[in-house]
Amino acid sequence: MLTRRHFLTSTSLAVAALGVSEALAQGSGLAQSGLVGNLEGSQVVTDAAAMPKSFKEAPELAELVKQGKLPPVAQRLPAEPLVLKPLKSVGKYGGTWRRGFVGPGDGENGNRINASDKLLFWDYTGNKIIPSIAKSVTMSDDGKVTRVVLRPGMKWSDGAPFSADDFVFWFEDIYGNKEVVPTGIADMSPAGKPGKIVKIDAATVEFQFEVPYFLLIEMLAGDTLIGGGMSVGMYQNRSYGCYAPAHYLKQFLPKYSSEAQVNARAKTEGFENWVRMLHAKKDWNLNPELPVLGPWRTTRPINTPTWVLERNPFYYAVDTDGNQLPYINQIVMTLAEDLEVLNLRAMGGSYDLQERHIDIAKLAVILENRERGNYDLHLDLAFNGSDTTIHINQSYTADPEIAKWLTNADFRRALALGIDRAQLNETFWLGLGTPGSTAPAESLPQNPGKEWRSKWSTHDPAKANQMLDALGLTKKDGEGFRVRTDNGERLRLQVQTVRAFLPWPQQMEMVAQHWRRIGIFAEIRELERVLAFTRTQNNEHHIHVWTNGGTELLYLFPRHAIPVDPTEAFMGPEFAKWYASSGRLGRAPTDPNLKKIFELFGSAAGQRDDARNRTAQEIWKILIDQQYSIGTVGQSPALMGVRLASRKLGNIPARACIAQHCRTPGSSRPETWFYQS
Amino acid sequence: MLARLFNAKPAVEDAATAEERVAVASQLKLTWWRFRRHRLAMASGVIVILFYLAAGFADFLATMDPHDTESARSYAPPQAIHLFDDVSLRPHVTVLRARRDPRTFRMVHDQATKVDLGFFVEGYPYALFGLIPTTTHLLGLKGAQPGETLHILGTDRLGRDLWSRLVVATRVSLTIGLVSVVISLFLGVLLGGVSAVYGGIVDTAIQRVIEIVRSMPTIPLWMGLAAALPNDWSVTRIYFAITVIIALLAWTDLARVVRGKFLSLREEDFVTAAELSGAGQLRIIFRHMLPSFLSHIIAATSLALPAMIISETSLSFLGLGLRPPAISWGILLQDAQNIEALALAPWMLAAAAPVIVIILAFNFLGDGLRDAADPYG
Amino acid sequence: MLAFTVRRLLLAILTIWVISVLAFAIIQLPPGDFVTAYIAQLSASGASVSEAEAVSLRELYGLGQPFYVQYAKWIVRVIAGDFGVSMEWNRPVGEVIGDRLWLTMLISFAALILIWGLALPIGIYSAVRQYSIGDYLFTLIGFIGLAVPNFLLALVVMYLSFRFFGANVGGLFSSEYELAGWSWDKVVDLIKHLPLPAIILALGGTAQLIRIMRANLLDELRRPYVVTARAKGIPEYRVILKYPVRAALNPFASTVAYLFPYLVSGSVIISIVLSLPTVGPLLVRSLISQDMFLAGTIVLLLGALTVVGTFISDLVLMWVDPRIRHQLD
Repeated sequence: MLTRRHFLTSTSLAVAALGVSEALAQGSGLAQSGLVGNLEGSQVVTDAAAMPKSFKEAPELAELVKQGKLPPVAQRLPAEPLVLKPLKSVGKYGGTWRRGFVGPGDGENGNRINASDKLLFWDYTGNKIIPSIAKSVTMSDDGKVTRVVLRPGMKWSDGAPFSADDFVFWFEDIYGNKEVVPTGIADMSPAGKPGKIVKIDAATVEFQFEVPYFLLIEMLAGDTLIGGGMSVGMYQNRSYGCYAPAHYLKQFLPKYSSEAQVNARAKTEGFENWVRMLHAKKDWNLNPELPVLGPWRTTRPINTPTWVLERNPFYYAVDTDGNQLPYINQIVMTLAEDLEVLNLRAMGGSYDLQERHIDIAKLAVILENRERGNYDLHLDLAFNGSDTTIHINQSYTADPEIAKWLTNADFRRALALGIDRAQLNETFWLGLGTPGSTAPAESLPQNPGKEWRSKWSTHDPAKANQMLDALGLTKKDGEGFRVRTDNGERLRLQVQTVRAFLPWPQQMEMVAQHWRRIGIFAEIRELERVLAFTRTQNNEHHIHVWTNGGTELLYLFPRHAIPVDPTEAFMGPEFAKWYASSGRLGRAPTDPNLKKIFELFGSAAGQRDDARNRTAQEIWKILIDQQYSIGTVGQSPALMGVRLASRKLGNIPARACIAQHCRTPGSSRPETWFYQS
Repeated sequence: MLARLFNAKPAVEDAATAEERVAVASQLKLTWWRFRRHRLAMASGVIVILFYLAAGFADFLATMDPHDTESARSYAPPQAIHLFDDVSLRPHVTVLRARRDPRTFRMVHDQATKVDLGFFVEGYPYALFGLIPTTTHLLGLKGAQPGETLHILGTDRLGRDLWSRLVVATRVSLTIGLVSVVISLFLGVLLGGVSAVYGGIVDTAIQRVIEIVRSMPTIPLWMGLAAALPNDWSVTRIYFAITVIIALLAWTDLARVVRGKFLSLREEDFVTAAELSGAGQLRIIFRHMLPSFLSHIIAATSLALPAMIISETSLSFLGLGLRPPAISWGILLQDAQNIEALALAPWMLAAAAPVIVIILAFNFLGDGLRDAADPYG
Repeated sequence: MLAFTVRRLLLAILTIWVISVLAFAIIQLPPGDFVTAYIAQLSASGASVSEAEAVSLRELYGLGQPFYVQYAKWIVRVIAGDFGVSMEWNRPVGEVIGDRLWLTMLISFAALILIWGLALPIGIYSAVRQYSIGDYLFTLIGFIGLAVPNFLLALVVMYLSFRFFGANVGGLFSSEYELAGWSWDKVVDLIKHLPLPAIILALGGTAQLIRIMRANLLDELRRPYVVTARAKGIPEYRVILKYPVRAALNPFASTVAYLFPYLVSGSVIISIVLSLPTVGPLLVRSLISQDMFLAGTIVLLLGALTVVGTFISDLVLMWVDPRIRHQLD
């Protein structure tokens, strides 16, 4: 007999609310700008007394009900819909949200708006897990079994019932099909032991594992392979999430007819084979027919110049007055071939709310155009430690002399001390970021302590020079650069950068000037993204520059801090291959500190919340002390934190959570935004 | 004044002596005489020479280390040069201190101090022509305090001096053009010549190759070739690879010109005469034919150079070819290619000025040369 | 004559075939393939792709096969009129290019008209008034168009029009017409958006044509028949317009074959800057993401366009100008 605990009371993630005062103390310009508000947003109502008793709907839908084309709203909603208390007021129905996107690869633009198709979610603070599709989630005391209770009577966007069968269908027919998903994922296999999803009744499923998996609840709420929801889980040839519309997708699987039959169908629809057809059919960006659970559904696919989303008449959430959400009728995203055009259009008022692809360098121009574009500007500060992180490849071997220095802790520390972070912050973040190490914000439970922000992360060229001299790098060439100890030629560090998200090549040009003062020659390479990616995969880079975004919750998105995922393992691709393949591929680390990190990380999934957070703190301490990844400036609005919101819109928060797990702007609840006039 | 520059009236000469001189002058000399009368082309020629001189003395002309960054100087406007302080002659600039306005996020400049300008002042160390180490620069500040720097054309986002970067970029961009042109000239003359001399299948084959190269859209070719460059190549090697890539796609026009000229010259009397007197084919080509259309080649070359320079800037725009920290005109244009530069630092557009001037100069020079080489061509 | 036409036609087909091989080869030049590009893009938005997944995707897209097999499969389908499915857009290549192709044509055509409209009178004026101030001035203006980097010009003009005129920047349609079907209003909207890209595009090509027109006409003006006409006291404008201009137009017309593809590929960069829905941005994007079928088709299309254009202009020239016909026979 299992004793079960309710997750909402047991998770100790909720910590002191993130005060804006703390953020303001970090950057002097922030307080005066008046652009950083307090974290706020819609709240989930759980008090039974506050639940609305009757339901209302958009006039367009009421019309369809009248015509008999749609069942009445009470029948479209689950028995216990999710109730959201809008930020400021109950809204009005109607309107088109105009927005910009950059092409068929920009699916995340819409996925994040539709992110409430997850089992669990984070609230607007990014610190508290809230129910979403799941009405409740409980975990056994030993952490091996997690029971998910769905909302009885919930429907897909085509009106078909959504039930436990959709989970079993995903687990057995999609995830379990080797032609669709060739290998299992770590999310479903704690400690390498595969778990399973079992139907208990129509509205109840269980995740069952052989080992304790206390992390699972966080995983189900986070932007992970199983917790991301169908929108992100099943787009672009991916096959994750943890449920799928069985009633619709069965027709594309050989199991329910025959391989010949589905292949024949694929041919007639222009696909090479059934797998490619399935990938296109279960991608909500591409297939307007695909039933979804989020607030909007695609009506014009992403592979056209205009991506159009329309209200899902079966969406499972209502406001406190019983109005079915979302308020906004449709979302029209127009294709911009170039980011300059996208930013200009945003400033001209062509978009109603845009935070994605907005360039912080244009802040002054954006501010000047507020009146003509009729928008407000909000700066949302992120929680990750370093937007620009200098990842030093610990598994590099091609040049032994270079490898010797890259793997030397004091060498890395000297590089870290050689960077003038205040200069970077002023030039590229307009003073809006926080200089320091890679550690997550102090307000988060996994932060190792205030002193770790500045550990090895101040500007101290004298000490850096001293440390480099002490390492034996005393000889310099004619231009004052230190030389290699093996052949006396200049010691050249290749720094690989990509022009994406932030102007990393330019930033590193500045860092190269700082390093010149400690006698280190850095060759800054700007590469096309695919090329850089190939090189890091092949373990060819010395140093790669990328963000450490997502590491604010280390276990949900570890790869920018620890090399565990070969997709992005800039700090040690060989170790990531080794870790991900359980030792079959790649190379095991020999550095005792790295070994310790892997050990701690591996043990965390089975630890309870408090212990797990303490483990994360331990990992951060080693990471920062060892400076495998050098932090520069973070906790800034640079990535998706410069938000232009039309003054016509209501319920727009003063500050939104900018983090991987908040699915920006998802946790600000776009379904509660509305047009005031 | 303008009219005088544009009017190319033949110089008045004593007819008899002129005729005598013309009769004995070589083809090149004739071309030069005719060219001298084309004043716009002459002026353009002078500009081209000045640009190449600037490229040679780039570091000497630069007022600051073109790589030196400083956040307080980010997007600093150009400093006005004052020759007089009240009534006395005292060339100086007004150096401003900058801080960021916390409400508008623009840089505001106040607290002006006057700093004297001087010639032949101490600056960052460099090697003149890559040989002579020195620290002397043509222009600079005298007795400047730390933080006081000279920016004739303002600075870029990283606070680097635009004038110094422009001058240094001249070196890279002009030599890229020149090297590319030399390579494509070699290919063009060789293949165009071979095509004309041998004719038949060889000619057809080469003509096909030319047509294919001309029919291929350039951008995919550039992108394919540039992306195929090995990544561990140094900046210098990439630089040369880029010149080769540009040249590989640009030789066809020259080859056409050369072939056409070869074909028409073959019919000329002096070639027939040389053939009859038993001269070898190579000797005919190099001794007789080549000199007679050398001027055409020079003209074609100077007309081809602008295309090379434009190619370099386009490659930079596409994120291919030369990348920072190398400094070229294409890279400087790329730095100006964004909204914030246009709105906050319009002086970044100055990067376009030398490109426009040199392209015009090369075009007029080329036109003049061609007119001079063949008045009916 | 017929033999010549057939021979030229065969050569043109041969050239197009070589271009198709080259087009396909160029796309294979950079390291990696579509799946690498796809994973790189996915990873940047937070997703991860395992080794096994990458392998199965390569198999799915048929990327594991050798170059010649992939090429052969593609070219056989192309001949049958099927350009394959774009990997990035998940749509048939024909559909992806479809709308954009004719908009590209439209812009290029508008630019072509502008170029002619400018180059023809300026060229005639410059030739007739050789070395006059007007000659120098117009030529200078023409060449400035050539010398100004057009991507920078495009951005500057776009920013200025944003700053001082309307809010709508980039693209070829206002947002309200983006979704609408074709209507008279939409056409008007399109016509309003056309001049900016057409002018910027035309600026680069005008100088070349002014130069050609001027040189051709200068040649003609020196001919004896012009001198005779003048001597007979025929009015100057008739002397010039009646025969020399016509004769000079022949070689001028032949440059159109080269001009059109030049405009199409020249529009690539400014199309990106101005965010125009033409094939240009599509081409660059497909090359970066190594979307073979899409990139290959566009390159092949542009190449074939040039070859066909040259072929037609050769035929036209031969038909128009008996001297050339004789030379060939």
